[in-house]
Amino acid sequence: MFDFLTIDFVRHFPVIAVMGLFLCAFLVEIFGAKNKYIRNTIVLVAAFGAFALITSLVKPVLFDGEILAYWMGNWEPVSGYAIGIGYEIDALNMFFALLVVTTILLAAIYSIKYMARDHHLGHYYTLFLMLSGSVLGLVLTGDIFNMFVMIEIMTFASVALTAFRNNKFGSLEAAFKYLIIGSIGSSMTLAGIALLYAQCHTLNMAQISAVLGSGALSPTSICAFALMFAGFGVKSYIVPFHAPAADAYMTAPTSISMVFSGMVNKAGVYGMIRLVYVIFRAMDITPIQLFLVTFGTITMFIGVTMALAQHDFKRLLAFHSISQIGYVITAVSLCTALGLEAGLFHAMNHTLFKGLLFLTAGAVLYAAGTTDLDKLGGLAKKMPKTAVCFLIGAFSISGLPPFNGFASKWMIYQATFEKATTTGNFAYAFVTVVALVVSVMTLASFIKVTQAVFFGQLPANLRDVKEVPLLMRIPMWIMSALCILTGVFYNFVQQHILVPAANAAFGVTKYIDSMMGEGTAAASGISDYAVQGVEGIVSIWNPKLWLILFAIVLIAVFIVILTGDNTRGRVLEKSEEDSEDGKYATFFGGEKSAHSHVSGSDLFWGFKHDFKGYFKFIQGMHSGVVNDYALWVVVGAALIVVFMFATFMFI
Amino acid sequence: MIIVNYVVAVLLLVLGLYAVCTQKNLIKVVLGLGIIDYGINLLIVSIGWNDGGTAPIFTISDLINGVSSNFFVDPVPQALTLTSIVIGACVDAMALALVIMIYRKYKTINSDEVRRIRG
Repeated sequence: MFDFLTIDFVRHFPVIAVMGLFLCAFLVEIFGAKNKYIRNTIVLVAAFGAFALITSLVKPVLFDGEILAYWMGNWEPVSGYAIGIGYEIDALNMFFALLVVTTILLAAIYSIKYMARDHHLGHYYTLFLMLSGSVLGLVLTGDIFNMFVMIEIMTFASVALTAFRNNKFGSLEAAFKYLIIGSIGSSMTLAGIALLYAQCHTLNMAQISAVLGSGALSPTSICAFALMFAGFGVKSYIVPFHAPAADAYMTAPTSISMVFSGMVNKAGVYGMIRLVYVIFRAMDITPIQLFLVTFGTITMFIGVTMALAQHDFKRLLAFHSISQIGYVITAVSLCTALGLEAGLFHAMNHTLFKGLLFLTAGAVLYAAGTTDLDKLGGLAKKMPKTAVCFLIGAFSISGLPPFNGFASKWMIYQATFEKATTTGNFAYAFVTVVALVVSVMTLASFIKVTQAVFFGQLPANLRDVKEVPLLMRIPMWIMSALCILTGVFYNFVQQHILVPAANAAFGVTKYIDSMMGEGTAAASGISDYAVQGVEGIVSIWNPKLWLILFAIVLIAVFIVILTGDNTRGRVLEKSEEDSEDGKYATFFGGEKSAHSHVSGSDLFWGFKHDFKGYFKFIQGMHSGVVNDYALWVVVGAALIVVFMFATFMFI
Repeated sequence: MIIVNYVVAVLLLVLGLYAVCTQKNLIKVVLGLGIIDYGINLLIVSIGWNDGGTAPIFTISDLINGVSSNFFVDPVPQALTLTSIVIGACVDAMALALVIMIYRKYKTINSDEVRRIRG
């Protein structure tokens, strides 16, 4: 039935998908500014078209292992030099492109009802489709300057969408900070690209990889690598660069928050993988692995602790996004088959469950008018379907079996632990413990949200809340179903999606050869990564590793208990901030209070009290001043440059 | 002579970053971004420069003879610079538009006071 989908025919699909989204972005403004039916039709056609075009490539690229090389206008390489813009689709881009088109489609469906109360929706959909097209183009392109242009379009569209509801609290300043930090990041990428061009005289990623060859990097290339590394770090919001992301996710319309966490920061992760694994092939250098693992571990820890301290539903989810990206970066940078598969799996799961959670947050905002955890409560009775979806998402992100978060986190623990045993480096075992602790804190934080939003006492002003419309629930159900399906059938996912994608990242020679012609990689002395066990399916249920892990956690718990001070049973002092309202009078004074809903911030009050020094420090660091955030970026980038020079000069 | 270009490009870059990190006036922060862009543009153009090269245009005689006797400047970085200039102008315009909106809402453009989202 699908015989007409030959390789020569589907070769054109990626480019059509990207161009279609950009074209529809303008059509929507021209024809759909007034009439909402025309507008919705154009948006849905564009989103569904991109989805259909990309999914039709699943069979040739993911299952059959073809690499589609496409030269715009058929400008093929002349005497070994790439002169045109090339699109190259291997299993790795294909994997990320699938995440992108799924997110676009679900966000488009969700937007129709969710945004219906806003004005100037023509502008909204123009920006939305521009954002979609740019992210899709970013992950599919094989040309590094094209990638930069897509990054810039992505940043502009993101900023404009963050400020779209500009009457809302803080959206303007969030957009401004996002723009400043994002532009510094893109400028660093551009500087890196310029230096790389000076070295290689080409902009094609495959050819750059071939020209850089297998020898030592020149100082200019090292500088380019460090700058681009920092640039993609800014785009994936790993820790010193993460501050504006939390603000933007919080204030953007929720359908856009979902797009941000579902595909915009995945695009950064993709850029990072492509840069380190393929273009510079630096991933098998031990210091680089350790450096990235450190970044990832710090990211997941700071993300989750900041999330614990939040009072706003969406801001809390935003910090969890940052934390989960930390998991992805940690796993991906192990450079083992299991590690890369685990990282990609978690990236995929993050798109699914965080998208779902943002959609439920949007539903709460739509129905109740606020996302402040201290003002919500008891919504499970009023919005049971949303509550069920939220619970599925919360279970997934906290890593409870059989949801998908469990499968990928379990693979991550296993991968870090395996790395510790094969390299004998104790640091990786420590990473395993941190990953476990972060997972526990994630669960704690979601217990808090569940309690604060869906259970407990219903505030008087939320009596008339109604369940959200069907059109908003459909994307939530699809996401929930995907969360469960990928968790239950993890074996299928691993075999047919993760293994090809991981192999694509490791198989550098094939990437270069299919773009620049057979034998190019061999001519410049490039070989694939020497990674064992890419083909082997590692069982997720391995009892022996389970037991060792259990012992490690037990020891960690004992250490925590033994080092804690012995103050159990002591009456805690009432702190200054609590005494202002009469909320706690029931607990301290004995008076009966009219409304005594246990709000989210109370639930782990003791824990936060114990670590108040740390929380005060880390919350003070997120000062909200744009100069401070820019300073973090500059310091982070400077650190990266210094580290890269130290590594490449002395290996 | 070309080395001066590189030094100035890096100086502009550092100066721009310094402005973004230290200036409390939001307009000056945007100007800092602009200076970063100029530094990078200068860097890219300098990369494409060949000393003594001419404009990368084939003349009729080149086409008839089939061989170019001219020594060209690399045209690709110039195209990149044009793109980068356009993008830089867009960044500045958008940032300034946001500053105007922030001023209307917050009645100030001091970055120490534009921080309602924090912690």
